[in-house]
Amino acid sequence: MKRNLIFLIAGILVTIVFFLMREDAYNALYYSSGFNDQLWNLGLYETATLITIGMAWGAAAIYYYAINSVRFDRWWHWLAVLAVVALLTPIVSYLVISHAFSDAGLDYQLETFSFELGNVVWSALLFVVASFSMRWWSSNCRHTPIPQ
Amino acid sequence: MRLFLFAIGGTGSRVLKSLIMLSAAGVRPVDENGQPVPNVEIVPVIIDPHKSNEDLKRTEALLTQYRMLRQRLYGNRLNAEGFFATRFVTLREIMSDSSIQLNDTFIFNLGAVEREKFRDFIGYDTMNEANQALTSLLFADYQLENKMNIGFVGSPNIGSVALNEIKDSDEFKAFANVFNAGDRIFFISSIFGGTGAAGFPIMVKNIRQAANLDINNRDVLRRAPIGGLTVLPYFNIEHNEDRRIDKADFIVKTQSALYYYKDTLTGANDSNLNTIFYVGDQEVSKPYVYDPGEHGQRNRAHLVELVGALAPLKFAGLPISKLSDPDGFPLPTSAYEFALDKDERNVNFLTLRAATRRLVYEPLVKFHLFFLYLRTGFSCMIGQGFTEDSPKIKRDFLASQFHRTLSEDFMRAYAEWLAEMHDNNRSVNLFAMGETDMNRAITGVTTRRSLLWNKSVDNNVFKAEMNRLSRDSNYGDHSAEFKLLDLFNRAATRIIADRYENIN
Repeated sequence: MKRNLIFLIAGILVTIVFFLMREDAYNALYYSSGFNDQLWNLGLYETATLITIGMAWGAAAIYYYAINSVRFDRWWHWLAVLAVVALLTPIVSYLVISHAFSDAGLDYQLETFSFELGNVVWSALLFVVASFSMRWWSSNCRHTPIPQ
Repeated sequence: MRLFLFAIGGTGSRVLKSLIMLSAAGVRPVDENGQPVPNVEIVPVIIDPHKSNEDLKRTEALLTQYRMLRQRLYGNRLNAEGFFATRFVTLREIMSDSSIQLNDTFIFNLGAVEREKFRDFIGYDTMNEANQALTSLLFADYQLENKMNIGFVGSPNIGSVALNEIKDSDEFKAFANVFNAGDRIFFISSIFGGTGAAGFPIMVKNIRQAANLDINNRDVLRRAPIGGLTVLPYFNIEHNEDRRIDKADFIVKTQSALYYYKDTLTGANDSNLNTIFYVGDQEVSKPYVYDPGEHGQRNRAHLVELVGALAPLKFAGLPISKLSDPDGFPLPTSAYEFALDKDERNVNFLTLRAATRRLVYEPLVKFHLFFLYLRTGFSCMIGQGFTEDSPKIKRDFLASQFHRTLSEDFMRAYAEWLAEMHDNNRSVNLFAMGETDMNRAITGVTTRRSLLWNKSVDNNVFKAEMNRLSRDSNYGDHSAEFKLLDLFNRAATRIIADRYENIN
């Protein structure tokens, strides 16, 4: 039980660090001076980060506690959820950021697309972090993707 | 409390087999309030000179398997819950007197009885002419020529002479040594054959007259609560020109023996036997192959044996006040009979009366579902869910002696037992034969209806429940074997209550 709590706390800390260092994290994977300045000016780093965190933790919660099925408890099932999260999160994030740029009269479609390619990596990583934080209490999927 | 269970003759072995199956399912003696009687340990002793009897061999093999499985599950712990809960031990296992040499077996060694012809056993050839004439009046030629390693071939008059030797045997002395105040004795025998009909009264007489014998614990034995199951005629045998065993004699033999028992065991003021259970069936069974013993005698299991197996459990659960007076002396005989709720040829759980159903329904259903699970689901689940919790159940578990004994040997015998009872008359249809779908496995019982359709029961339902239970339990101090059986037992309790119709 102690170990499981440590994993949960560690996962939460990693996520908080990701939120706090969001600009550095995103910029490390994609940087274009005008585009990133506008992200900053419009507060879109925060939006993208919250979407990524919410979708990764939300998907993990759904997998481990809502689906929580013996028919969906193998590592490839988990991998499928990871793939969905890694694809869906950038799409949602892209739509929200594009909408915000559009409202501001800006056109950064190509840059936003490239930016969201980086977000594929972050959403996948955050899903892994969320999975290892919360899986321990799932009745059917606690040994997915790898046994405890 | 130790229950010394003497299973005498072929019927004794077959009833004992049913008791093993019930015990494997977790049926235990219960008291008058329906609570399991604590600290019960059964010491089965099979008395049968016919060592090559197939029914005896099957029962002995089952006892050995049961003992091994239980040892792996619970060690020497006396009280347990769930499958294989009741402890079965040999006399050798519980005796402390090293001066008596016994084999570690459930079978009583009858020494010379098993090796000799009856005429040699009684020294016919050394008798004078007058005694030979008297002996010839009492025993037919074929009885004198009977080689007793095939039993007494339906001749209690042989058995009553030959089995009188028992009181001088090491086994009897060992039994007397380990018998303590509070222990009980139970006999299982048929009344219409040879070995059981003769052995039962002789054994009771020797125990009650223990004061005259050179054994320990004589006073305790003299006062011991003794019960017996007397199996009345219930099976039919194929017609054969060799009429050493003849169905037509069954009723006459039964009548004579009952009169004899009345005079010596069960009379109104007789306290030799505290409790007697009678069970039989006038419904004719499918005829068994005529075999006085030479070909091994392998008879199909029968409902009467299953019902008979409940008798020692009932006896073990009786309060001592029904067996002994306040001074500890045995009370006169009480008699019990068994009745079905409906007189039908196809017997399922709904045919049983409520009290019997309450005792056996849940354990037997659990065990049958476990049987199906082992056959159809378990091996695919290794490496997933509860099997990954500590202690882990790894793939090599499938090759372990425990798993092979359980799922290959014991469960094969269980399936055989069910099939034999099903193919007999009355036909026992507790479970749908050959049905692997858990939703349809219990005859006459369907799954509960939810809002739109019936709830389902399958291996995945069990897996989910076992996963949940395993997450919330700590099996760290137990073996993987115990974890598997305990989890299944607990999961089945809940699934039966939630998903199947309640017939209790």
